[in-house]
Amino acid sequence: MNEKPEIKNIAAEKDKKTFRLDLDKEKLEKALRLFKLKIKTEDVAYLNACVHCGLCADSCHYFLTDKNRNSIPGYKLGLLRDLFNRENIFLGKIFPRWIGARDLNEDLIENWIDSLFGRCSLCGRCSLNCPMGINIAYLIRLGRGVLSGLGLVPESLQRVVDIALEKGNNMGIDEEEWKETVKWLEEELRKEVNDPAASLPLDRKGAKILYVLNPREPMFFPLSLLAAGKIFYAAKESWTLSTKNFDVTNYGFYTGDDESAAHIAKRLVSEMEKLKIEILVLSECGHGFNSNRWEAPEWLRMRYDFEVKSILEVIASYLRQGRIKLDPAKNQKIYTLHDPCNLVRFGGVIEEQRYILKNSVLNFKEMNPNREKNFCCGGGGGQLSLTPFAERRIKAGKIKAEQIRKTGAQVVVAPCHNCIDQIMELNKHYDLRIEVLTVAEVVASALKLNRNRV
Amino acid sequence: MLSLLRIAAIISSIFAFVSLFIQVLKTRNYGRKSLYSIPQGRLRNGLFYAFGKGMLPWEKESTRNHLPSYLAGIVYHLAIFSALLYFFSLILSFKINIHFIFLLRILLFSGFICGLGLLFKRIIIPELRWMSVADDFASNILVDLFLLNSLIESLIEGWRAFFFISSILMFIYIPLGKIRHCFFFFLARIHFGLFYGRRAVLVPWKKRVS
Repeated sequence: MNEKPEIKNIAAEKDKKTFRLDLDKEKLEKALRLFKLKIKTEDVAYLNACVHCGLCADSCHYFLTDKNRNSIPGYKLGLLRDLFNRENIFLGKIFPRWIGARDLNEDLIENWIDSLFGRCSLCGRCSLNCPMGINIAYLIRLGRGVLSGLGLVPESLQRVVDIALEKGNNMGIDEEEWKETVKWLEEELRKEVNDPAASLPLDRKGAKILYVLNPREPMFFPLSLLAAGKIFYAAKESWTLSTKNFDVTNYGFYTGDDESAAHIAKRLVSEMEKLKIEILVLSECGHGFNSNRWEAPEWLRMRYDFEVKSILEVIASYLRQGRIKLDPAKNQKIYTLHDPCNLVRFGGVIEEQRYILKNSVLNFKEMNPNREKNFCCGGGGGQLSLTPFAERRIKAGKIKAEQIRKTGAQVVVAPCHNCIDQIMELNKHYDLRIEVLTVAEVVASALKLNRNRV
Repeated sequence: MLSLLRIAAIISSIFAFVSLFIQVLKTRNYGRKSLYSIPQGRLRNGLFYAFGKGMLPWEKESTRNHLPSYLAGIVYHLAIFSALLYFFSLILSFKINIHFIFLLRILLFSGFICGLGLLFKRIIIPELRWMSVADDFASNILVDLFLLNSLIESLIEGWRAFFFISSILMFIYIPLGKIRHCFFFFLARIHFGLFYGRRAVLVPWKKRVS
């Protein structure tokens, strides 16, 4: 592992330079090497295309709420572009000030840490609003990857990756504890569906589906796992959980550390191969979906020979095939839907959740804007673990809080556990008086079960 | 003198295009990102979006909220392309129809005003001024001068030398400063379209559930 220079509470320093990174020449050279290694054709095109128009500013929930110039996406991108220009552009080499090119030094690295980790949730909303179409979020992730290579990921975020690498899941749940939770939930399921044969199967070889979930579910939100179990039961699905590799999350995605991300992703691939499963179904987790569906094959440099689907796609298919029946009258409150950035804007799962909710509840109101144009809740990009920047996260969430309030909803449905945590915090902070549920929980409460089933 | 300037203008324009072309080709040296994940959508849909619907003023919040800047940008760029056509028509001694000349003058004038407007915007808005570097101002001024000189040249005889001088300065600067986005814009939009098209996020038409 890399030796980690000390990073103290940067956010609390409020722009005063009261901490030191102690980066020697060797480390700066390493950072430069990493930067050059990570940058690809697409990134070069993007970095050359930015014209500093500033039109991205109003698309960022950080800038909209703090009006801090360092929060403008173009500025954050500029932190990388300045270095790129210094190294690659003729004028940047001979007359750097003219085009704003900068050498890689401690000052620039400090700005990277503050802006790339502390002022961005990698939501990608700025990219959609950029006249050039620059994929700013992925470039910021690239910068985070360089910091990760130097061991400069804020400790609270790095810890989540370390725990996942060491224990097999990001909450450090041990096998016995996990098995006991599954057993307890299985009993609950049996009671709820009134069927002693109902089960939450573990390690069932040859099942059609391997369902992986956010470890926060067994720890803090067991009802969402119970809801998924109930839906699979109602659909008579052949499915299983895994005893060892059940974690859908991958915080290597947030730290930009492709090596750790690949290691974590590989576990699920191995589990799929070991149990001979057809479809890897991911629970409601935004970054877990983007990581496992889109990024993991690139980290592992392999084409999967199994399908990767969100539980939302699976539930929608059950509904279309008539495998589950719902009674929306069971959900009479006013519901609205939050679109997690990694699932929707980066994931392409956009309409399934709407189809499901329109069949599960009586009163559904869209937020505005919605779908791929949604605002981030502020909980993405690893921000929930980035405790030094927690104050900024809550402030940035004001946009989402206002969106929710405008719908008049009593229930916010959020198909992502990071979003749920953030919205629950926003609920308290902005006094929204809402309930926050997963899509599966809403579906489970609307399920029409055949009670006479054997 | 004029024939010397004409030759210099031709050489500088070739320098600009060749340099830009080489810069674009050189991006390939960095290597493409791998694409092992199985696509969900069609790449061409993403491209249609990137160069079609995605460019429309109502599609992006940033353009809806900054409509005058968007329109100024459109007029500015149309004028630049018109001025370039005018430049090459002079170089190639191609005679332009009088009606087109009239339209050209309107476009060049509007483009020049829009360019100045965007320059003042950059100076006046604190965030934008703070983000800007000398290159941003220089690029805008060089292009504005190119538009102004092409307009005057179309109106007054004997202005051609000034038009060629401003063209030479602009062409030499294009690959060095941010005006190089004139090529990289297309490359960036292609990558943008491919990324979101592959993931079936952005499509040229609405797909909504019933």
